[in-house]
Amino acid sequence: MRCFRCGANLTENDFCTNCGADIRLYRRIMRLSNMYYNDGLQKAQVRDLSGAVESLLQSLKCNRNNVEARNLLGLVYFEMGESVAALSEWVISKNIKPDRNIADDFIEEVEGNPTRLTAISQSIRKYNQALSYCEQKSYDLAVIQLKKVVQTNPNLIAGYQLLGLLYLENKEYRRAIRILNRGLQIDKNNTMMLNYLREAEDELAERDGVQALPAGKKQQMGASSESIVYQSGNETIIQPLNMPERRSASSLINIVVGFLIGLALMWFLVLPARIRGAKNDVNDELTEVTNELTAKSADITELNKQIAALQQENETANQALESLTSGSGIVEQYDHLAEAALNYIRSPEDVTTTANMLSQIIGDSVSENVAETLEQSYSVAFRSLYDYLNAEVTGQAASRFLNEGMSAYNDQNYDQAIADLTNAYQLDETSDKALFYLASSYRSLGDADKATELFSLLVNNFPDSEYVSQAKSYLRNGAEDESAAGNGGAQEEEPEAPDPQAAALSAFAAAQQAMQEAAAQQAAELQAGAGAAQ
Amino acid sequence: MIEFEEELKKFHPLLEVEDAERYIHNTDVTDLVDLMIALADRSVMREE
Repeated sequence: MRCFRCGANLTENDFCTNCGADIRLYRRIMRLSNMYYNDGLQKAQVRDLSGAVESLLQSLKCNRNNVEARNLLGLVYFEMGESVAALSEWVISKNIKPDRNIADDFIEEVEGNPTRLTAISQSIRKYNQALSYCEQKSYDLAVIQLKKVVQTNPNLIAGYQLLGLLYLENKEYRRAIRILNRGLQIDKNNTMMLNYLREAEDELAERDGVQALPAGKKQQMGASSESIVYQSGNETIIQPLNMPERRSASSLINIVVGFLIGLALMWFLVLPARIRGAKNDVNDELTEVTNELTAKSADITELNKQIAALQQENETANQALESLTSGSGIVEQYDHLAEAALNYIRSPEDVTTTANMLSQIIGDSVSENVAETLEQSYSVAFRSLYDYLNAEVTGQAASRFLNEGMSAYNDQNYDQAIADLTNAYQLDETSDKALFYLASSYRSLGDADKATELFSLLVNNFPDSEYVSQAKSYLRNGAEDESAAGNGGAQEEEPEAPDPQAAALSAFAAAQQAMQEAAAQQAAELQAGAGAAQ
Repeated sequence: MIEFEEELKKFHPLLEVEDAERYIHNTDVTDLVDLMIALADRSVMREE
């Protein structure tokens, strides 16, 4: 020890033997500084780095030229990951004692590995950046940065402290415990990390229902066995900090669990989606096939309709052909017309034969609508020829038939009279005379019904005819006349005075009978047509 | 119960390489020896 005034070596005296300065206080200060140094050294030996730093700083406050304390402080700083601070302490120590200073070795060793020094410097810079993030309340970024820091510089106690605090703030207690325990392996008695660890364990125990042991007891047990001790109910659970076997086993378990979770996800999420997609595809194809089937069915239905229509047309054509080629067909009618024309050319005077031939063309069923039938069924040339022959022959034939019928009537040949008069009336339906004598012929033959019908027809169609009174008389007194007439044959009766009331009743009865007969005839025609259609 | 904001105030930036020189120059602080010398000098001056 040297005198603080003159620098002379001090002896056991309480004063300097060179300058006489009182060194009692100085010696006490030096002793205090050395005591703090020793305390720091003991703490550093048990890895109580933060406690060692505090003791060494106290030592340097007593004597800033305590080179051993400064070198040890630098060494502790370096162990705590603060290499720049360590280098600074060693540089200061080197300045205080340039020769034979162990700080030279420390500096050389650190500067001999520039890669590591650079990595540590960058980790310190990232730590400061993370601290800046915390001040900006960007805690997630700070956590990310601090994870890199403790990975690059695993001894940086400040990084573990700040990361543990952030995990606590994020209520990630298990992570906080894990990172703080890692930090406590470097600095075993770091008060701040111990506080954080206790807080994390308490919160975790509260959350998980596990009652944590007191921090002192835990520390006492945990420090010796390097394990986490906590109490769950009546059981005290001791969890070692370093269990590589358990870690690998847990990793294997985690892999298996992850695989099972993946399978479950496949089973519950992916497979249903695949199955649903396949079902949708099948449904789409089914819908498409169904649509095609529906279209085909529609086509088949349409074709069947066409077939039915064609069959109907074929049937109609066959019927038309049958109607043309049958006995009463158009071809046959053309033959009749040709025969009538030939007969008229060869024998113009034989009008009755020609008229009969012409009457066969139209037929009885359509005789009342000759013009309409001709218009609908036959060609213009046919109609022209028919009209010509009819105009040339009909009048003469009707007159001839009438005369012949009258002659037969007068000769009481009523059958011939009926035939001739029927022809006459058919050829000339305006002949009331032919109709009257035709009815009289029937009356004479005893066919009262036919006679009544024809007399009624006369009364209705020819109300101004000179034969009406006789017809009415017959209709009114038909039975008496019939009995009176007996078999007397035809006698010309003088017209009686008409009875208007009786005539009206007779006309009404005749009209009613004619209408009933016409309706019956139409019904028969319709029934015949329906039978032909079937 | 730990107050996060209060705990955060306890953290300070670590010494970086750029700040090392300034730190070294500022470490020439007064220690107890300096105070003792100053007190001794002051008492000598008082006696004189």
